[in-house]
Amino acid sequence: MDRIQLGLRWALLSFLLLVAAVANADEINQTWEQLTESQRQVLNPLASEWDTLRPWQREKMLDIARDYPKMSPEKQGLVKKRLSNWSRMTPYERENARKRHQQFKALPDDKKRELRKKWNEYQQLPESERAKLRAESPETYGDSNLD
Amino acid sequence: MNMHKDNMTDKENITFIDDSVISDPVMEAQIARGISDLLNNRAQHLEAEHAQRLSAARNAAVHYLTEQQAQYNTGNQTARHGHVLRWFGHVGQNFEQHRVASTALVLVVMLLTFFAVQQFGSNHNLENSDAFLLASDLPPEAYADKGFDAWIESN
Repeated sequence: MDRIQLGLRWALLSFLLLVAAVANADEINQTWEQLTESQRQVLNPLASEWDTLRPWQREKMLDIARDYPKMSPEKQGLVKKRLSNWSRMTPYERENARKRHQQFKALPDDKKRELRKKWNEYQQLPESERAKLRAESPETYGDSNLD
Repeated sequence: MNMHKDNMTDKENITFIDDSVISDPVMEAQIARGISDLLNNRAQHLEAEHAQRLSAARNAAVHYLTEQQAQYNTGNQTARHGHVLRWFGHVGQNFEQHRVASTALVLVVMLLTFFAVQQFGSNHNLENSDAFLLASDLPPEAYADKGFDAWIESN
């Protein structure tokens, strides 16, 4: 009787975990029309290309939609504005950005201000010069760090 | 306690017994053997009616002992399953027999723990999520642009 009860408990827990896994798999395979209204509102910049995204890309975007309500209105505006460019970046660029972002967060406030100023100055450079700088820079991360 | 040897079959070993004799362990064992022999000897000459009554009494005693043992074992099993409910005191003890309730309670606790861990992990990773990268002071292009790094170093 003890073993039967223990078996039943584990079977039920396994079933719940399986349901959760299947629900997650279903979510990343949803088409644009199948997303919830709140998800569509957040991911609206990606509406035209959503159905062409790979499952792992959709998963990351759905994570953004999940975290979006927890942010302030100001930050929500930034997310919507930058989401489209973010979706067009390669997995390598995104991983690079994540690691750089972690480094940036660890900087003191004065260094952060300085970097923001530098970024604005960098944006004033001609595109040809920026492309040349990019071409001359070595790769930082390998393929193993991709999404 | 006084006993006369007339009542004993082992007349050579036991003649007279008093409290000082019983306090001696060797003598006590000897007396016990004597009593046992006496009872065995008398048992062979019991009348049928007495033998039957003794047999019935023995059966009743064995039956009672078996029931006590079974109740003890059941009590132990219930205690194993219902110990969580014991935390609720007298009211909880009423539910000890309800194994379904006990199982449901354990499952609810497991589920709550599972969701609490998930929620904690979610909050813990929130600051590291892509959403917060997008809302950062710098746009994501700034973090991904190798040219920007090179330009900063050269300046």
